[in-house]
Amino acid sequence: MSLTTAHSVVAPSSNAKLIAGTIIIAYALISIVPLLWIFATSFKTPPDSIAYPPKIVFQPSIEGYCNLFTTRTRQTPEYINSLGPATGVCDATVRKRNMVIAGPSNFLPRFVNSLIIAFGSTFCAVFLGTLSAYGFSRFKVPLADDLLFFILSTRFMPPIAVAIPIYLMYREIGLSDTALGMILLYTAVNVSLAVWLLKGFIDEIPREYEEAAMIDGYTRLQAFWRTVLPQATTGIAATAIFCLIFAWNEYAFAALLTSGTAQTAPPFIPTIIGEGGQDWPAVAAGTTIFLVPILVFTILLRKQLLRGITFGAVRK
Amino acid sequence: MSTIQPVRRKSPWPAWARRGLMENIATAIIAIGFLMLFQPIALSLYTYSFITMLTGTVMFIIVSKFPE
Amino acid sequence: MLNRTADNVARATPEPLAKKIRGISDKGLAWLFISPTILLLLAINIFPLFWAIYLSFTNYRANRPNDVVKNLGFANYKRILGDQDIWIAMQTTAHFVFWTILLQTVIGFTLAWLIDRKFRGHAFWTTIILVPMMLSPAVVGNFWRFLYEPQIGLFSYVVSFVTGIPPTNVQMLSNVEMAPWAIIIVDTWMWTPYVMLICLAGLRSIPEYIYEAAEVDRASNWRQFWSITLPMALPFIMLAVLFRGIENFKMFDMVNLLTGGGPGSTTEVASITLKRQAFESWRTGYSSAFAIILFVAVFGLANIYVKALNKVKQR
Repeated sequence: MSLTTAHSVVAPSSNAKLIAGTIIIAYALISIVPLLWIFATSFKTPPDSIAYPPKIVFQPSIEGYCNLFTTRTRQTPEYINSLGPATGVCDATVRKRNMVIAGPSNFLPRFVNSLIIAFGSTFCAVFLGTLSAYGFSRFKVPLADDLLFFILSTRFMPPIAVAIPIYLMYREIGLSDTALGMILLYTAVNVSLAVWLLKGFIDEIPREYEEAAMIDGYTRLQAFWRTVLPQATTGIAATAIFCLIFAWNEYAFAALLTSGTAQTAPPFIPTIIGEGGQDWPAVAAGTTIFLVPILVFTILLRKQLLRGITFGAVRK
Repeated sequence: MSTIQPVRRKSPWPAWARRGLMENIATAIIAIGFLMLFQPIALSLYTYSFITMLTGTVMFIIVSKFPE
Repeated sequence: MLNRTADNVARATPEPLAKKIRGISDKGLAWLFISPTILLLLAINIFPLFWAIYLSFTNYRANRPNDVVKNLGFANYKRILGDQDIWIAMQTTAHFVFWTILLQTVIGFTLAWLIDRKFRGHAFWTTIILVPMMLSPAVVGNFWRFLYEPQIGLFSYVVSFVTGIPPTNVQMLSNVEMAPWAIIIVDTWMWTPYVMLICLAGLRSIPEYIYEAAEVDRASNWRQFWSITLPMALPFIMLAVLFRGIENFKMFDMVNLLTGGGPGSTTEVASITLKRQAFESWRTGYSSAFAIILFVAVFGLANIYVKALNKVKQR
């Protein structure tokens, strides 16, 4: 690492660095444009969003967010004039389009479902994963390699192929369209990642800590609680964020196995429609709200990202 | 998944049945199965792609138990 | 400080439970820790899998649960493996998998190689590039429909601006020729960072002294790239290619939202066909057999992937 100084024979020349930097920055900027466009569209009015040529400069409006959280009905201007003064910003905005707010939309409950299912399944997956990872890391388990492969292989199953029997099974035992059913399913998918990632993290904690604790008279379980868990906090947090992102983003299971009460945000957002087609500012608003937590997590995770996407195999 | 245990014999394990070589053969069979599944040339190749992939996969699981 | 937190934890553990577990041997503890995970996977993954295997031999239909279930033997498998339409769906999948992997590997490796030049601020720009792969393919894929809209969509506008094609004629999703490329573009945009990140790890795993030795031997930059950089990064590239191959072979969410398999069935990849058979035509037995075929294919690749994973781990 210290070899990449000006004296190193293999250090890239400053010219090469300049060209490389320019290309990378250009790629980064282009690849981020769709995301910036989502963000911009969420603050456009519906006419602005479908203007030709596409508008880069526009008058920002919160109409998209208003439409996202409400359902509206069209009324005659006479009726709207007969109402009292508008009760809020959204009310005033939709009245300009000859509409009145009829009630809240389904977005908030779907968003809450996403939160419940993502956090619930993450907690279960990390809990089970930590125990199993410790078991595989510290004890001689017969057929350990086969069990670990079995655990990982469940993650590769095509979601639609799993969904067919799960659909029948959940229908039999009454878990169709319930948050509990989705939590169980996402836990099963995530636990494989959790075991593999956490095994890597726990392998890195020296055994001497536990052995010292056990010489002090702690049992194995106490040693696990007192020395291993505090040491593994970073690993557990990183694993939890990975599980959270998967459960948050998941679409196939959610679309096939939930339809109403337990539906999460990803299958809901594409169904947001206005008069005469998709209400793009509202879709963009929902997408923005949905993506912001992931952006924050990505920045928090950037040092662990490589580990997460290779199931803990590549650490640097 | 498989019940085959690593065989511990006194006599040396035959050189051709080492894990590395046999795993590569199994990998090749799986790859051939995929080519058969994906090719646009003959329907009959597609028909037999599944059994090829299944053979390769089962073989892979078995030979991964062989000694190095 | 460590001890204090530890004492708190110990006090929080209920006495009788702690006493009960105290007597457990290491072996018992190992199974106590591992078995909940195994049991959950057996219940949610393996039991349904065996159920699907059973159903694949029958004519069961999920929308008519009271019909008499007939045993068909291997008839479902024979039908799928002789079906022209499913074969075409496989070729659609192949086209999608081949091009996405080729583009992602070439672009991803190039980006990684450039980032490895270690210019100023490369860490920041790397993080920016990584953002798309963390997002929900469904939610972002859905938004790409808007970018692809003829005339009003940003993508169509830029394409028509650059190429001079009238903006109403840039129809990515409704054009039979262009629709397969529309999904390839979105997938490449989304997952190139993934390949890049793994390639970057591969490039950084090459020890500096090998290049220095090559430099002493006066090997040209070109030769160094082909005889050092590429071979040594190859296990990492393979890892990325295999993982993307598995993921794109079973691709569902993004394609379902972008085109839903259309126009006609030009973008109907295997998972879309499976979903149509299972959840629209309700041919549960037939689609279970198809699911098992896809599962065997993925399982074969997963074996190779884990082998590649172990190869990289030894580095």
